[in-house]
This record gives sequence, C-alpha cells and structure tokens, in this order.
Amino acid sequence: MEKLSNKILQKIKEEKIEPKPRWQFLLKNYAFWAAFGVSVIIGGLAFCVVLGILVDNDWDIYRLAAENPGKKIFLSLPFLWILALVLFLAAAFYYCKRTKCGYRYEVYSIIGLSILGSVILGSIFHFSFGIGREMEALVAEKVPYYQKFYSPCNDRILWLQPEKGLLAGEIIKISPPNSFDLKDFNGSFWVVKKDEDTFVLENEPLFEKEEVRIIGKQEEEKVFRAKEIRPWKKKCPALEKGK
Amino acid sequence: MTKEECAQKTDEELVALTLKNQDFFSCLVERYEPKLRRYIQRISAATQEDAEDLLQEIFLKVYRNLRDFDQNLKFSSWIYRIAHNQVVSAWRKTKSRPPVIKFGADEDFLKFIATDEDLAGDTERKFSDEEVRKMLENLDHKYKEVLVLKFLEEKSYEEISDILQKPLGTVATLINRAKKQFAKIMEEQGIKF
Repeated sequence: MEKLSNKILQKIKEEKIEPKPRWQFLLKNYAFWAAFGVSVIIGGLAFCVVLGILVDNDWDIYRLAAENPGKKIFLSLPFLWILALVLFLAAAFYYCKRTKCGYRYEVYSIIGLSILGSVILGSIFHFSFGIGREMEALVAEKVPYYQKFYSPCNDRILWLQPEKGLLAGEIIKISPPNSFDLKDFNGSFWVVKKDEDTFVLENEPLFEKEEVRIIGKQEEEKVFRAKEIRPWKKKCPALEKGK
Repeated sequence: MTKEECAQKTDEELVALTLKNQDFFSCLVERYEPKLRRYIQRISAATQEDAEDLLQEIFLKVYRNLRDFDQNLKFSSWIYRIAHNQVVSAWRKTKSRPPVIKFGADEDFLKFIATDEDLAGDTERKFSDEEVRKMLENLDHKYKEVLVLKFLEEKSYEEISDILQKPLGTVATLINRAKKQFAKIMEEQGIKF
C-alpha cells in the first residue's frame, strides 16, 4: 500500500498546490479586529445618544404632567438606541471571537471590555463634543419614522398643559423688565410674567424667536407666571417643514 | 530526507523547511499520521477508508495554511485543531448523526477511570467492554470530546483550549462536568469501583 506521505506529496506536486501567502491570513485577522473596533465605536455613538436623551429627559416634569409618571418615564427611555447598543455589542463579540486569538477570551471579558469601550467613548462623545444630540437630530431629519420617538417632536403635547403648570412655545416679544409675549406650539398667544426668583436655565437673557419651555402657574386666561424657563430642545424636522 | 534526519528536527523547523522545499512536508505527515489517524477514529465514526480520506484532506489543508501557523502555539495543537475542524465539517457535510466516540475497552481510558482523583476508587477494579460502552453511550458528545483530548491524547488544558478554540475556563468546566456526568452514569448503572 502506498504511503500516505507519498500520496500527499504527489498530489501537491501534480496539482501545483502552494501554501497561501501570509498577508491573506494577516488581512483576515486585521479585518476582524477592525470590525470589532468599528462595532465598539458605533456602540459608543449609540451610548452617546442614549446618554444625551437621558440627560435631556424631563425627569422632573413627569410627576406634574402625566397621570401615570412611572409609565411615562418608562416610555421615555430610548429603547431603540439601547437596542442599537446591544446589537453592536453583539457584533463586537462576534468579530472578536473570529480573530485569531479571540477564542481565548471568556464571553464575559469580551462583553465587559466592549461595554466599557462603548461607555467610555460614548461619554467622551457626549460630554466633550455633544455628538449624541446632533446625531439624534440628524436621524430624526433623515428618517421620518424616527420622529415618533424624537422628544422635540412628541414632547410638545406634554408641555402644552398650562393648567398643570407647563407651557412651551416661541418668544414673540420681550417686554422688559419682567414679561414677554409667547406664541405656544398650538398657536395661542400668552403673556408670560417672571420675577427675580424665576430660574432661567441657559440662554439668559432671553431673546425673541427663542423657543422655550416653562414651568410655572396659569394665573389668568392667557397669562402665565414662570418659575423656571428652559430652552426648548432641538427643532422637530416635521414641524419645521410645515412652517 | 531520511527518517533519522526528520526525527532530529522540531515541528517548527520542519514547517520552515517545508516552506522552502515541499519535500520536507513528508516528515510532518509521517510524524503526525498515526496520531491523527487514532484521534480521528476516537472522535468520529470513521471507517479506515474514511479516516484515510480525512487524513489526506487534513494534511492538504495544513500545507495550504502553513503560513498561518502561529509560532505562539504548539504545532501539534494547530494540526489537531485542523483535524478536529475537518472531522466536524465532514460530519456536517454528510449530515449524519453526531460522531460516535469509540473508546471501546481502551486500556488508556480504563486507566483514567481508575486513577483520576475525582473518580478514584479500587484500582484493581476491572471493567467489562459492555460496562464501558454503556457508560460512554450516555455521555454527552461535548464531554466525550474533551475526555478524549485530556485522557487519551494526554493534552494539557492549554492545548485543549487551542485545539477546540475555547477559553481555558470553559475547558476546565467541560472536563469537570464530564467527570461528574461520568460518575453519575456509573452510579445510575450500579457500577461501583
């Protein structure tokens, strides 16, 4: 019986089989590491948006505005972005496992490292560059369906409850020293009064055409006393088009 | 190259020599043929002919991927990994049932049963073929595979990790569970040391 080594060598020679070049293996390995890195970075972007939404969330007004604050808070959580984060963490795990030495790492260490990477990158993106808000605004502009979940679009109704102490709209005219005219997002006109105790978050002094949200108390028909004034969020693309 | 000359070279040296002159590959084939043939038959239901075909495919794959061999690994781990993957791949291709691991009344395996710390007992105890077969038939495939590598191929945990491409912790867990399941099966079947 012919020796196996002879048969194999014969086949190698007859079929002119050659060892594959090393660069092919290196390229494949680097491609998986690169895909792992990209997944962590995209996961970081998703986390950055999650962070932006959570930081900007109107946590304190749900108790004023909603009949069921717990449910409202739950529904305000950015599930789509959390899902995106989870998907990219899964992708990072998959690519890491496909690298040459990926099998040596335990599941929890890869997942832990990916989460840590995404959280650190996401925090840098959010706190240093404010990328999260811009990215979410861009998605809302390009993907109309997303506007259903975009707080600048769907929180308007929440802030148009003057009887519950919430009002939002555009400043029409500043009347120094302590009042301004406001056109709310429903198109109604209001006189908003403020005093020295009124807390104005960012953008002091207020300016005309600025969009604001106000916590306070309705004093009379179309007269509102402000306790706190905050700038409105980003523009809602659907409403901007309709203007 | 003569057998003696081959024997003097390490695996890594033979890999380097093969990349310069393909004839040196026969040294590697001859060195690993008996080991891999035995391994294939232990982890699959391969007949002599099937094993021969698988061996050919394995060595050709090794040759094609020779430049992928990582010097941080043992060459034996790398070649066993290719063999393992090839067996699994052949099994998937034929869509047959999971390979039946044939320990038979393998003396080495009986030695393991008798000397393993977790299963220690009367080392004089003799097992019949039938007893061993019964015990092994009931063992999960993933456990049989690590038992083959650990106790029949005598690989270290690190080598098993490199062959099966699983983390060290997972290998340790698998071996531990395999022993426990083995002990449980013995108990259920009323087999005592």
